[in-house]
Amino acid sequence: MASKKGAYETTASDTDFRKKYDREEYAQRAKEREAKEREENKARYEAKLAGKKYYKPLTGDETLTQARASRLDVSQNVGKVTLMPAGAATGKRGRGAGFYCADCDLTFKDNLQWVEHENSMQHLRAIGQTGEVKRATADDVHERILQIWERLEEEKKQDVKTLGERLEVRKEEEDREREERRQKRLAVAERKRLEKEAELKVKQEYGEDVRVEGEHDEDDMMAMMGMKGFGSSKK
Amino acid sequence: MANHRADEKRFLDDRGNSGPLAPNGLNPATIMEKPVVDRIIDCYFWKDQCFGVNEADIVSRVVDQVHFIGGTYGDSQKPSPFLCLAFKLLQLAPSDDILREYLDFGGEKFKYLRALACFYIRMTRQAKDVYRFLEPFLPDSRKLKQKRRTGTTLTYMDQFVDDLLTKDRVCATTLYKMPKREILEDLEVLEPRVSALGDIEDLLDGEDVQEVDPDAAREDDSDVEMSNREPADEREDERSPERASS
Repeated sequence: MASKKGAYETTASDTDFRKKYDREEYAQRAKEREAKEREENKARYEAKLAGKKYYKPLTGDETLTQARASRLDVSQNVGKVTLMPAGAATGKRGRGAGFYCADCDLTFKDNLQWVEHENSMQHLRAIGQTGEVKRATADDVHERILQIWERLEEEKKQDVKTLGERLEVRKEEEDREREERRQKRLAVAERKRLEKEAELKVKQEYGEDVRVEGEHDEDDMMAMMGMKGFGSSKK
Repeated sequence: MANHRADEKRFLDDRGNSGPLAPNGLNPATIMEKPVVDRIIDCYFWKDQCFGVNEADIVSRVVDQVHFIGGTYGDSQKPSPFLCLAFKLLQLAPSDDILREYLDFGGEKFKYLRALACFYIRMTRQAKDVYRFLEPFLPDSRKLKQKRRTGTTLTYMDQFVDDLLTKDRVCATTLYKMPKREILEDLEVLEPRVSALGDIEDLLDGEDVQEVDPDAAREDDSDVEMSNREPADEREDERSPERASS
């Protein structure tokens, strides 16, 4: 055989269209993964020998747990329809009808189970929390009291009861609206005035010498009468 | 100890107690009775609203959720939010500075916050500190709603504080036995208390005068209130054995 080259004078083989894998890189990755698994299995085994439960070590990126800011509100789902796959209703695993936890891929049927799951260490680890809460100082407490008090005061201001107070609030609102309308009207008038000035300026710049007799007479007349042209609002 | 645990598991773990004791030498996990604690940690309010709460969040919870004082209420003996938060305070064990904030700065604005802090202080502090902390609030006559097993009643802050100082069972909790104020005065631990009504000797002498001149008695509102309230206290006493058996 004289040459390995085919009839087309190329070295391409039949299977060259397939994806080429970097075998070394994948071998390296497999080795790393196996080493990690071996280590974990060893830790599990040692924990078992010591009679303890094995927990995955923390990564160090966990955040502190915080108190719930809002309560579970099921009333917002009233009237909503959700489609479920036919086999979804068995057990907690996977997405199904009920409260679904995306981080742990579990579904719960009632609010008690749901809140217990949210408090569980399994869930806290899955969302990257330590299950510890920051200790507040007296200053924090002072600040919080002040904050809540101000919020309540603000709410109280908006919640008025007597007719006199309501009329006063209404009057203020109306005054504000009237002022807004006035400003709008002034702005429109101002714009119109500017446009007119610009037109006059253009007319003057033309000069009499450039003007062809009778050509602009109609436009001038219309501009004087406040019209800009027929048919189209475009200039 | 930088952080709190978000849940109560380690706090209630009774395989040898590692946590600090309360200033009066009691274990905070056992200050409330076992059946009551079991009810508290089973209830939805505890799981939902007391998880991951710190000292500052307590204020938010009290303002938003606590609208009455009381221990367990209703036929099912449901623990009140007040009791749940008191139990949370036992876990958090706030310092005296924070309690001062609750009592004075927060207590002026939110009465149930003051009531909660008073209850907590009575459970955990030494007798002399209890008297020192709570007695300034005896002239506080704001109304408090109280729920019992039988129904809702009206009470006042000063009456609640007085109950805490004199009774042995308040809000489903048996309070530890405190020495009487007179004994502490004899031991010179405490100064004699000056009543908001004035000197007791003068009052006793002036009794005849009050009968003659009713206007003089009406001048002092708290005086009238106190005399009105005495029968209510007696009624409470009659009811207390029944409550103790519950």
